[in-house]
Amino acid sequence: MPDTSIKDFEGAIAELETIVKKLEEGDLPLEQSLALYERGVQLSRFCHARLEEAERRIEILNERGELKPAPASFAADDDR
Amino acid sequence: MSDLFDLPFEEEEPEPEATPAPAPAAVRRVLSVTELTVKIRDLLEAEFFEVWVEGELSNCRVWNTGHLYFTLKDESTQLRGFMFRSALRYLKFKPTDGTRVVARGKISVYEPKGEYQLVCEHLEPQGLGALQLAFEQLKKRLQAEGLFDSARKRPLPALPRKIGIVTSLDGAAIRDIIKVLRRRYVNAHLVIRPARVQGEGAAIEIAQALRQIGRVPSVDVVIVGRGGGSIEDLWAFNEEIVARAIAKSPVPVIAAVGHETDVTIADFVADVRAPTPSAAAELVVSRKDEFLGRIDRLQDRLRSAARGRVQRWSRRVHVADSRPAFAGLPGRVAMRGRHAAELTHALARLVRASLAARDRRLQQLERQLTTFDAGRRLAAIRTRLVTSDGRMRSAATRRQDRARAQFQETAGRLDTLSPLAVLGRGYAVAWNADKTRVLRDASAVVPGDTVQVTLARGELECEVRSSGDSTQKTHRENP
Repeated sequence: MPDTSIKDFEGAIAELETIVKKLEEGDLPLEQSLALYERGVQLSRFCHARLEEAERRIEILNERGELKPAPASFAADDDR
Repeated sequence: MSDLFDLPFEEEEPEPEATPAPAPAAVRRVLSVTELTVKIRDLLEAEFFEVWVEGELSNCRVWNTGHLYFTLKDESTQLRGFMFRSALRYLKFKPTDGTRVVARGKISVYEPKGEYQLVCEHLEPQGLGALQLAFEQLKKRLQAEGLFDSARKRPLPALPRKIGIVTSLDGAAIRDIIKVLRRRYVNAHLVIRPARVQGEGAAIEIAQALRQIGRVPSVDVVIVGRGGGSIEDLWAFNEEIVARAIAKSPVPVIAAVGHETDVTIADFVADVRAPTPSAAAELVVSRKDEFLGRIDRLQDRLRSAARGRVQRWSRRVHVADSRPAFAGLPGRVAMRGRHAAELTHALARLVRASLAARDRRLQQLERQLTTFDAGRRLAAIRTRLVTSDGRMRSAATRRQDRARAQFQETAGRLDTLSPLAVLGRGYAVAWNADKTRVLRDASAVVPGDTVQVTLARGELECEVRSSGDSTQKTHRENP
């Protein structure tokens, strides 16, 4: 299922919390429970993906608004 | 001023001897007003080339030319003063009425009006340092404008996509920030906009940098700051232009200037104040730690809640099993032999299939859930290894294994529903020697006969030593 319906990280976390609460409290039919569970899995995958998606990168923004990779000295620090 | 000039005449006039003799016309030299004024000016300027004078400012006015006019006064005397726009620019505070100041400059004469005045080159407030005063003044003004209101403070993004940093590339701050970010959020994406953070023009550069970095796509939080230093070193962060740039930033700004004890105007305007640059980096990434834990906890709850649902469903089946209609099932199974056993197998298969389908779905979802879990990634790899190992086994064995595993998995859930479980409770099925009939009457065998016994696990081949009637048992079997 596409993740397009998930707006942002905060939203995903909030929805996941709602789903968990519903599953924990409500006496829902099995099929609905599984549908909710599936959505929950989707949301938590989305959150994990967002946590991992940022690239490990350092860029320098110059006065002309151009982005350039940081000089090697920063990359070296990077690995420490 | 007029007193000073009037006095001698009042005193001298009554003196009769003072009547001057007419001066000879030849030595009489008449000056024009201008000539005299110029002479006076030259005298004053030579004499008061550089003076320091203290007093209280009043009548401060900046004209549209940008020059400042003021009066410096003490208890009984006033001195007119003037300051060029070019000199005014370097003042760190805004001259206001009532401020006690020390002024440096020269005395000159404003010829059109014949007034002498102080041409001021530098002003500094007495008591409070100039910087201190400037700080207090700007703070008061911006506060009145509402720039420090807590309602203006924006929350930091839960998870920044790109972290903007405005600071000097040469300073300690940038190293500290990178170090902390790498330690706590290894895949952080940083965008650094270098700016001088001290000296003339630093404030303008910082403000420009803030404007630019806020427009970079995906930069959703900005750290602006520098390492420790003197109040003069940190001064750029007390400039109005920086304060305004922070206030106008389209994304939340964390100010991190100097050490814990250094407080700048930037700190007040920023959405979040960090005591040090390292602390700013921690403020951004601690969010990741927090959320990882939160997601993991939610996942655990999600998993156990879903499992709970399936188990509750299983229990319902269990309840159905113990209803009167099913109560005699074990006995009947024992009596009807293989056919019955097969039937119950079929029944069990049906229920099992239904449950197993859901269980498989649950497990599949759980697998999806865990593959992203960094901590469990190793376990996933291990599972994959085991799987590929299994591929080497024959297809037949694999099918068998899978069937067995699937059965064992669901057997627990089905538990008492399955008539087979009766064996688990200690019942046994006794067959004739070639296992074609189930024995239900002791008279069907005689001592010496062989009897096959099926237990929960395994089979026994038994020899009958004696046989007898068991009416009681028969009764129980046929209520």
